[in-house]
Amino acid sequence: MEIINQDSLVAPGDLNEAPISMTTTEGNLTGSWKFFSPCLQEKVSPCRTACPIQNNIAEYMYFLNQGEKDRALEILRESNPLPAITGRVCPRFCQQECNRLQLDQGVLIGSVERFLGDYGLKIPYPAPEKKRSERVAVVGSGPAGLAAAYFLARAGIQVTVYEKEAEPGGLLRWGIPEYRLPKDVLRQELDNLINSFNIGLECRQDMTSEKIEALSSDYQAVFCAPGLGASILPREFAGYDRVRQGLDLLYDLQQGRIPEGRRFAVIGGGNVAVDAARSLLRYGKEVEIIYRRTYAEMPAYPDEKRHLSEEGIPVQEQSLVTDITPHKGALRLSVSQAVKSEQGIVPGPVGSEQEVDVLVLAVGQTEHLRIEPKERLFVGGDLQLGASSVVEAMATGRQGATAILQQLDPEQEAPELPAPEPAAVNLTYVPRKKPLLLRETALEERVSGFVETDPGFSEDEAQLAAARCLSCGKCTACGLCWFFCPDVSIALETEADPPGVTIDSEHCKGCGLCAFVCPRGVIRMEED
Amino acid sequence: MNFMQNPPAQHTSEMLLGSDAIAYGVKLCRPEVIAAYPITPQTHIIETLSSMVDSGEMPSEYIKVESEMSAIAACFGSVAAGSRSFTATSSHGLALMHEMLHWFAASRFPLVMVNANRALGAPWNIWTDQSDSLAQRDTGWLQIYCETAQEALDTILLSYWLTERIMLPVMVMIDGFILSHTMEQLFVPEQDLADRFLPAYQAPYHLDTENPLSFGAAATPDNFYNLRKALAKTMKNVPKEIEEGAERFSRLFHRRYANLEGYRLEGAEVVIVSSGALTGTVRIAVDRLRDAGKKVGLVKLRLFRPFPREELLEMVQGVPDVLAFSRAVSYGAGGTLAQELRASLYHLESRPRIFDVIISLGGKEVFPETVIDVVQGMGGLSPVNSNWF
Repeated sequence: MEIINQDSLVAPGDLNEAPISMTTTEGNLTGSWKFFSPCLQEKVSPCRTACPIQNNIAEYMYFLNQGEKDRALEILRESNPLPAITGRVCPRFCQQECNRLQLDQGVLIGSVERFLGDYGLKIPYPAPEKKRSERVAVVGSGPAGLAAAYFLARAGIQVTVYEKEAEPGGLLRWGIPEYRLPKDVLRQELDNLINSFNIGLECRQDMTSEKIEALSSDYQAVFCAPGLGASILPREFAGYDRVRQGLDLLYDLQQGRIPEGRRFAVIGGGNVAVDAARSLLRYGKEVEIIYRRTYAEMPAYPDEKRHLSEEGIPVQEQSLVTDITPHKGALRLSVSQAVKSEQGIVPGPVGSEQEVDVLVLAVGQTEHLRIEPKERLFVGGDLQLGASSVVEAMATGRQGATAILQQLDPEQEAPELPAPEPAAVNLTYVPRKKPLLLRETALEERVSGFVETDPGFSEDEAQLAAARCLSCGKCTACGLCWFFCPDVSIALETEADPPGVTIDSEHCKGCGLCAFVCPRGVIRMEED
Repeated sequence: MNFMQNPPAQHTSEMLLGSDAIAYGVKLCRPEVIAAYPITPQTHIIETLSSMVDSGEMPSEYIKVESEMSAIAACFGSVAAGSRSFTATSSHGLALMHEMLHWFAASRFPLVMVNANRALGAPWNIWTDQSDSLAQRDTGWLQIYCETAQEALDTILLSYWLTERIMLPVMVMIDGFILSHTMEQLFVPEQDLADRFLPAYQAPYHLDTENPLSFGAAATPDNFYNLRKALAKTMKNVPKEIEEGAERFSRLFHRRYANLEGYRLEGAEVVIVSSGALTGTVRIAVDRLRDAGKKVGLVKLRLFRPFPREELLEMVQGVPDVLAFSRAVSYGAGGTLAQELRASLYHLESRPRIFDVIISLGGKEVFPETVIDVVQGMGGLSPVNSNWF
């Protein structure tokens, strides 16, 4: 025992006074206590899973956020040879699955893609690593054909594309109005792609089934994506000069052939119907849409429908045209209320009459060529899928190219696409950000010409949009696990390429905090 | 101190809320981390600090937490990492921190915490009362009770100097509302002056990933006993350390604070011992009683832990009667202050009679007349086993 009094001076701050170990604790391998271990495993982001061509969005956004625009473009081009186009016309399946929708506002992926795509318009693609002797023909230069040509050419194959029209692009060129896809962007994108890979282009080649058969003996393989060139024309509408097919009309408008007449009615609810109606409005026509179901049920893309309404084009919902009669150089339409019955949608008892100068039918397309896939002959695009989106058509092009490459070289393993394992994100520690507003061209300017409805993002805006992306499923070395680890068992490797973390398994006690807090779902606890 | 006089050199004169005075004091000390949870009547302090951090005026890390337990735990972490830190609380908030208060002191971690004295329920009461802090007297923290906002501001500076010297945490008390929510004309030191008094904190030990050590890991009973003995030794030495701090402080700031302050003690037959803002009221009552010919004096108890026993002995030696004014009760025993005084003075051969007066609880108003009534009614009181409510 010792008597404590005021004279018992103890040096303040003496280590002996504080309950601190005298030696390092590093030798105490606490890692032996654990029965669960954190494992780093990058996952596939839900946006990528939703994308028909599986664009590696998390990755290119990450590099864009690091200020590496060229690397971002390179990653985007891995899966998408037409980003300036899809950035404009894709219905953006990706954005609907964005994890950030649960937090504040989803990432405007399409707008960032468009920015990157426009940036890449003048940047040639790198030459393929090796040249191959095989030659492959592609029929049709729409999105499916171009995608197939790209993936084949990138593998070193010599590709020749056969196109019916005078210029390449297919539906992209004559089916999509300029206010959605300017011809100048289309030309630059296609020129860059075709020139970079020296893809052969044979235009004005009206292919028949026989000619395609013949190609398959000249080439090692043929990828055939001629689209759906014929329109569905119900019998009751056949034989009238003033009844036009939607796609034909769009084609004529692209060629500068504007139909006469003032009053137009468009039957249909899909993208062709909306494109036709909005285009006619821009030529000063009075136009309305007649659709057999409700406005909400119209299958056109939501943005297109919104623009249609904004531009003041009326939609006569749940209406059926039952009869047409020529009347003084115009058409008199008998319109009935559409009623749902067991036989489908049928005309109801209530009816009215109205007069139009031209009736446009946009009720679907069908094939103009019958082609059965066989050895060395592959089919893709709308001919395979039915009318579908640009990006879905591109996906068939990639699949076709992959199948052809495998047939040419059965030894070669098919490039494996990542398994769609969704990244379980934790948004708790992600700071909310102010939502971004999409600018749109003023209504007046829009309807008086073919200026783009969506003016796109400036570089600054695109960077802001990209900065909202978490890069789900990818370790960005954000440091949250490092911050939370109670055992100082995580080291941040910010300078590594790619940056990441390393786990000191000798001291990690397996508490699982890192796996729990990881905003990107990259760490998983596995039983030892 | 005459507050109408001009401020001393390197001070500005400002009208400030007591809470803001403390915030300014904290800012002058440049803490690296502030972690706190709002509770009336302390909230103004951390509100002002958080705006200072938000505006960039104060380059500290402000950690928003979900409870007082987290606030003190966050400070525990930041101090363990070697940072000067600050927190403030009151009443139930302090009670919630109780477990960590033991850990803080026994870990020998320096911290300054302001507690705005407030009652604990039931029933709900937000007014001043010392039950909250006096209930924490055995946790190993220093406890300092301030009479004025100026004293509170200055005590923050003194406390950081002290806590980093003795490696024990300091709790600085102000009376809820009476000090926190009223304005005073204050002398605010300039930063340069504060920097000269208080150098940057150099932690003698801190968490270091390059040299990992265990902090507070299990110890043998003998080790534990020795560590606590060391803590007790340091506590014994604190009054001397404070003396040195007060001397340094007075040289720079031209004002001085003692652990105990005597007022009109000459020939006193009755001495009132009081703490906190109550002292101001007692001062006036003492003046009036003296004017009426009563030999009454006052001892202001500024330092409560460690209890300044030696200094107290000097002041009350030969005084027949001492009135201990408590704002807290240990139910079944008596007013906390009376217990402390009795324990400190019992060994004297000739010791004063000690009267236990529970002068106020839950903010019950104390006027000079209240104090005068108590002194005049003393004749009917027994100092034995009685507490006067």
